[in-house]
Amino acid sequence: MDVTIVTRDGARLGVPCAEGQNVLAAAEEAGLYLPSMCREGSCGMCAAHVTEGAYEMGACAEGALPKGEGGVLLCRCLALSDLVVEVPVRDEQIGRHRVPERRAVIAGLVPAGAGALAVTLQLEADETYGAAADFVPGQFFEMTLPGADVRRAYSLANLPNWDGRLEFIIRLVPGGRFSGWLAAEARVGQMLELRGPMGHFALDEASPRPRVLVAGGCGVAPILSLLRQMAEYGDATPVHLIYGANREAEFLPPHVLAEMKAALPQLDVTYAVWHPEAGWNGFVGTAAEALSVVLASGAAVPDIYVCGPPRMLEAVEGAALAAGVPAAQFFAERVQS
Amino acid sequence: MFCFQCEQTSRDGATAGCAGAKGVCGKDEVTADLQDLLIYELKGIGQYTHRLHKLGKPDADADRFSLYALFTTLTNVNFNRARFTDMIAEAATIRDRVAKAYEVEAAAAGKIPAMLGAAAHYQPAGDLSGLLAQAPVASVRAGVEKVGEDVIGLRSLILYGLKGVAAYAHHAEVLGEEREEIYAGVAKALDFLASDSTDIEALLGEALELGKLNYTVMETLDAANTGNFGTPTPTAVRTTPVAGKCILVSGHDFGDLRAILEATKDQGINVYTHGEVLPAHAYPKLHAYPHLVGNYGGAWQNQQIEFAAFPGPIVMTSNCLIEPQPSYRNRIFTMGPVGWPGLKHLTHNDLGILVQAAKATPGFATTAPEKQILIGFARDTVLGVAGTVVEAVKSGAVKHFFLIGGCDGAAPGRNYYTDFADNAPQDTVVLTLGCGKYRFNTHDFGTIGGLPRLLDVGQCNDTYSAIQIALALANAFNCGVNELPLTLVISWFEQKAAAVLLTLLALGVRNIRLGPSLPAFLTPNLINVLVEKFGIQPVTDAKADIQAALTRAA
Ligand code: SF4
Ligand code: SF4
Repeated sequence: MDVTIVTRDGARLGVPCAEGQNVLAAAEEAGLYLPSMCREGSCGMCAAHVTEGAYEMGACAEGALPKGEGGVLLCRCLALSDLVVEVPVRDEQIGRHRVPERRAVIAGLVPAGAGALAVTLQLEADETYGAAADFVPGQFFEMTLPGADVRRAYSLANLPNWDGRLEFIIRLVPGGRFSGWLAAEARVGQMLELRGPMGHFALDEASPRPRVLVAGGCGVAPILSLLRQMAEYGDATPVHLIYGANREAEFLPPHVLAEMKAALPQLDVTYAVWHPEAGWNGFVGTAAEALSVVLASGAAVPDIYVCGPPRMLEAVEGAALAAGVPAAQFFAERVQS
Repeated sequence: MFCFQCEQTSRDGATAGCAGAKGVCGKDEVTADLQDLLIYELKGIGQYTHRLHKLGKPDADADRFSLYALFTTLTNVNFNRARFTDMIAEAATIRDRVAKAYEVEAAAAGKIPAMLGAAAHYQPAGDLSGLLAQAPVASVRAGVEKVGEDVIGLRSLILYGLKGVAAYAHHAEVLGEEREEIYAGVAKALDFLASDSTDIEALLGEALELGKLNYTVMETLDAANTGNFGTPTPTAVRTTPVAGKCILVSGHDFGDLRAILEATKDQGINVYTHGEVLPAHAYPKLHAYPHLVGNYGGAWQNQQIEFAAFPGPIVMTSNCLIEPQPSYRNRIFTMGPVGWPGLKHLTHNDLGILVQAAKATPGFATTAPEKQILIGFARDTVLGVAGTVVEAVKSGAVKHFFLIGGCDGAAPGRNYYTDFADNAPQDTVVLTLGCGKYRFNTHDFGTIGGLPRLLDVGQCNDTYSAIQIALALANAFNCGVNELPLTLVISWFEQKAAAVLLTLLALGVRNIRLGPSLPAFLTPNLINVLVEKFGIQPVTDAKADIQAALTRAA
């Protein structure tokens, strides 16, 4: 079904709406963030009027429902046919993740474990967006290969900041166009075009549950950002990091996680190496296998955040489901390879 | 979780109140339970500090902590559960200190220390799950099956009134105005709550006591504001943007605003007020900062839209904070009692990051055509023209005064107050305070007998000023406040309004119209008491209520 949102200033915005989905959620899925607060039909913030079409209003507080024909609360309004909905806000007031296009200068290129590069970019100040690096920990930027129509998305490893600094950890894929360019041609001072931030991989800060963070290879970048966010805000939620790699040499230099542990005292870390060399006395196996062990030993069912290559994500999700972790407690982000 | 402290509380279940995983305001279960525990600890602290006050040996830090901690639990103030876990630990340390002091001081005074109830001895668990398991003992509804709904309702009225008292007193305290009487009164109220009284008369008496205390508190806050910033004068405030880097200050705290104005001096940054900070412009010493350029936006419930559109950092200094949208999450900061997980908290000493944020964000590209509103009709101004006012009433030019005060909210029912103001006849004067006015303070009300017909007295905090105006009028007419051609129309939202209501009742003000809905914690029995004893009336339809008020007065 299609919902047409008509703003106060007459803009008409089309939004697909699935059966059983409320209009507020449908609009958000389409990238339109309408005002809302309680999301359960009590506060009245998402009041609107349906002018065409059939709908069903779920339970809501009597006083919150707007007066007049077709008065609805979007968080409780299910479409039964195509709908036209008038919202009491102007087009420009609707929050949008219209993705910013930015320019940034390469400020640092440093090896980050075998086969990976720590890339630092400095954003250029911009009339619309200013100079800040404004993103949510867990999000990514898309970079364009200079002079080519090739784009790659990479997750940020640092925290939002007012200096405009973006930090990435990028795997050097043999034969990869972008990472090949990074390894061979990129130089400090060069300009890159970016789009971002994007992505919904983020901490559920309201959850009371402990957290298990699973990083596969360069998937450690957004995981580091989440950990840094916890440290920055003194979040005392128990947290366990499972950091998997094919070989020990691929891990980030040890001081990175040592600093993390100093800033986040409750952090436990399990290193999992799939193909260990002689002398490795940590966990032997994949990150998914390490997760099964951790889940079997823990008391409370944790929230799970995982970032890594697609096959690893599948294995980790399988391990989580097998251990009875509900899907709603599973947050995943894929690393491009 | 169970919380029914504000007007927008969920009324879906059998018992009205937010009892799911999240309140209507966005407060989650964990935070709500931790807030209950913190209050339980404060009652325990109050048991000791009340006795220390009586012994003449108060603990100033414990008293200040109690105000601050109560303030953090108001609606739309602090949602950061990490902050509450910290405060719970801090409260236990303070409690141990005042417990020891009480033992020592009682012995020194030759008295046997009293045996104190459970709250005084509560030991908070060491981790979150332990704390959550303890929470039921601290719930506002604890023991309801034994004591009944009326007792729970009255205890809640006292607790919520006390929260409002604490918020006002904290605002005064951070501006350097503190009174022993206030600290003693707050400690006494906490001690009373800790006694778990079931005596309806005693509970009602305590509620009115608290109303009286709040009168002193509001007087103190008025002294703090005027002492620090001068006497409010009628001031035109710009409501449109000026080109340049910018910071938006919301909430209620003028001390925070001053600190921000100082930190941004000569930096090419313009400062705008938002919501209830608007009245700041009327204070000469704040108005004197050339970079305090105007007001941006309206009442608190529009903040998600307004903050998203504001091209600079935003500071929330007290209530009312609602969940920050992703688009402005990184550039909204909290101060004082306010908190949200993942937002940066600022103190007066670390405002550098705010300046940095203002410089790194785009600011307004262009200056919009100037628009203004007129504010600042506090008591000195109105009383300064008291002669004109009295004459206007005697000559029949002014038939009636309506004081429309209180908070705004998101529910469409709040239109009542706009309708009321707009439909008040031309020969009546509308006084207003609080943020309810944002719905109509841009409407043209005209003038009457040389006075603007709409007089903006200030913040919800400025009820003191409004009461002074009413008392002075009563004096001029040689009658009681209830005989004045004056009707109070109060729109309540959160706990400061509960404190103000108790003050008005304690002063004997009758026939107040209260809405948009009556507090969920007041049972039908308790509402009957309010109606019978104080003539409180729920709002109905604006036009009908205006008519009723004018008929009664005639
Ligand atoms: S403050 Fe109000 S909305 Fe929030 S949980 Fe309590 S009653 Fe509900
Ligand atoms: S008047 Fe009440 S609702 Fe309005 S801003 Fe002040 S505290 Fe919040």
